Amino acid sequence: MPDMEVSEILTQPYMLRAIAGVVLIAINASIAGSFTIFRNVSFLVAGASHSALAGAALFILLGVYGFPANPLIGALLFAIATAIIAGYAPKEETNTAIGISFAMSMSLAILFISMIREYAAKVWSLLIGDLFLLTYEDLYLMTFVTFLSLMIALLFYKAFLFISFDSEGATAFGLNTKRYNYLLLSLIAVSAVMLLKGVGAILVFAMLVAPAAASNELASNLRDVFVYAFIIALVSGFVGIAISFHFKVSPGAIASLLATTVYFFSLLARRFRGD
Amino acid sequence: MVKEKDYAKPGVETDDTEIEAITSKEVEFRYDEHLVLSDVSFQIKRGEFVAITGPNGSGKTTLLKLILGILQPQKGEIRVMGYSTRERDKIMNLIGFMPQKEHISSNFPILVRDVVMLGLGARKGITKPTKRADEEEGIQAIKSVGLDEEIWTKKFAELSGGQQQRVLLARALAIKPEILLLDEPFNGVDIPSQNKILDLISDLRKKGVTVLFVVHNVNPLLHQIDKIMLLKGRIVAFGRPDEVLTDKNLISAYGASIPIIYCEEGYAHPVYSDIHG
Ligand SMILES: Nc1ncnc2c1ncn2[C@@H]1O[C@H](COP(=O)(O)OP(=O)(O)O)[C@@H](O)[C@H]1O
Ligand SMILES: [Mg+2]
Repeated sequence: MPDMEVSEILTQPYMLRAIAGVVLIAINASIAGSFTIFRNVSFLVAGASHSALAGAALFILLGVYGFPANPLIGALLFAIATAIIAGYAPKEETNTAIGISFAMSMSLAILFISMIREYAAKVWSLLIGDLFLLTYEDLYLMTFVTFLSLMIALLFYKAFLFISFDSEGATAFGLNTKRYNYLLLSLIAVSAVMLLKGVGAILVFAMLVAPAAASNELASNLRDVFVYAFIIALVSGFVGIAISFHFKVSPGAIASLLATTVYFFSLLARRFRGD
Repeated sequence: MVKEKDYAKPGVETDDTEIEAITSKEVEFRYDEHLVLSDVSFQIKRGEFVAITGPNGSGKTTLLKLILGILQPQKGEIRVMGYSTRERDKIMNLIGFMPQKEHISSNFPILVRDVVMLGLGARKGITKPTKRADEEEGIQAIKSVGLDEEIWTKKFAELSGGQQQRVLLARALAIKPEILLLDEPFNGVDIPSQNKILDLISDLRKKGVTVLFVVHNVNPLLHQIDKIMLLKGRIVAFGRPDEVLTDKNLISAYGASIPIIYCEEGYAHPVYSDIHG
């Protein structure tokens, strides 16, 4: 394969799908990632992506028992359930509540898998993920959901910003803070699931949170947080694909390594700027 | 200095002064089973400047939330300009609120413009795009709190404590409220900025705005306020500062004796040591 011309490589269907996957991931890392930082709920990303595994396992199990359904739908349902639990818990308890639902989901995931050992690999593939294994169906679903979250984020941008900055003030100014909070947390959880097949539950955190965390350090206004997060995620993803193609390593791992490294450099950059 | 009396009925004589700005009747509030406020009854007239004080956890913030209609009392009723706080949409446009700064999170590059426009946006429809004219209103509000227009595009997090409080005040004022509620606006604010905020508030009440001001330390405002409400899960005392700031009342609120000194103008100043945290 490495002997192919670049133009030839770039037209391989699996390569095109991986590139499309990275673009979609970068959009999610920009929107959901930035709001994760603003709202200070990064643990939700870890919780939702792992809870999603249990949902996927459950739907695979249902399939085995004659109720075929797309595992990603199960993943979405479980991730949204985690978001709702996080929104329902009192503020000081948010992280504990996410942690417990994370733990409960993992117990369920392992229970389900133990009931359908022959399909276990299918679930574990979501733990690791692979950009080169994205199917057209995955991409359609990712495109649809990403478009939906983009629209929601545009429409409710100010509301999401207000509740992140000052939820007490937002309520006082007449916003239904609870409802917007559930919506925002669900949007973040759904985005986490969108990254599941591409980079795997373990690395969702790195790809969804690190780019926005880095750009939050560097940006001088809110728009730039979204722009830089998109660019950091996109470039990390593309470099990940390029390197993994040549050295036969996981593209998600390379991309995540890059995104997390950028975060640490952004901390240094901020330190040197003196604030 | 102008005597207190002259402020008592601000320039609203011609107006319908019959309606009280805020009335509370036998209000009781609990968070689940935890009783926070009980038997809270008071009346605040239009244009009055009232300081609400009391130890930590005495229910000051809770009382503001009840007035805003964010929380509803389990017993009793609060009315704002004659409307029950259950009619939130009626009272919302009458009240400007400035939250306790400790409850705000600005670990991201939100600009002063964003902060002020959020308040206006919430009132004009949070899903609607911001209009140029709205932005003019926001800039006016920033100028009205004595801040430079240049600050409009600065990061909120990079301002001084006093500037941040004035931006939050501008956000509250941008909606032109008749009642202004401020929750500990002096936290982390230096003396000159405190004085600027106080000057602003005297201007507002000359226009007939009713101001409720939650403070740990009443001394900076003693000369300007009409009344003090001393809280401790209930109203320990409510009235003119000299009526409220007595040894007996302070002991009952703080559980310790607080020395009182009298200034040249004859005001009683409690000398808090570390009691108010
Ligand atoms: N959301 C809440 N849930 C349960 N208890 C609360 C909540 N908010 C405040 N409290 C409790 O109510 C009491 C009064 O709180 P608060 O009104 O914030 O006091 P203050 O503003 O005077 O310091 C405190 O004991 C506090 O712990
Ligand atoms: Mg308080």
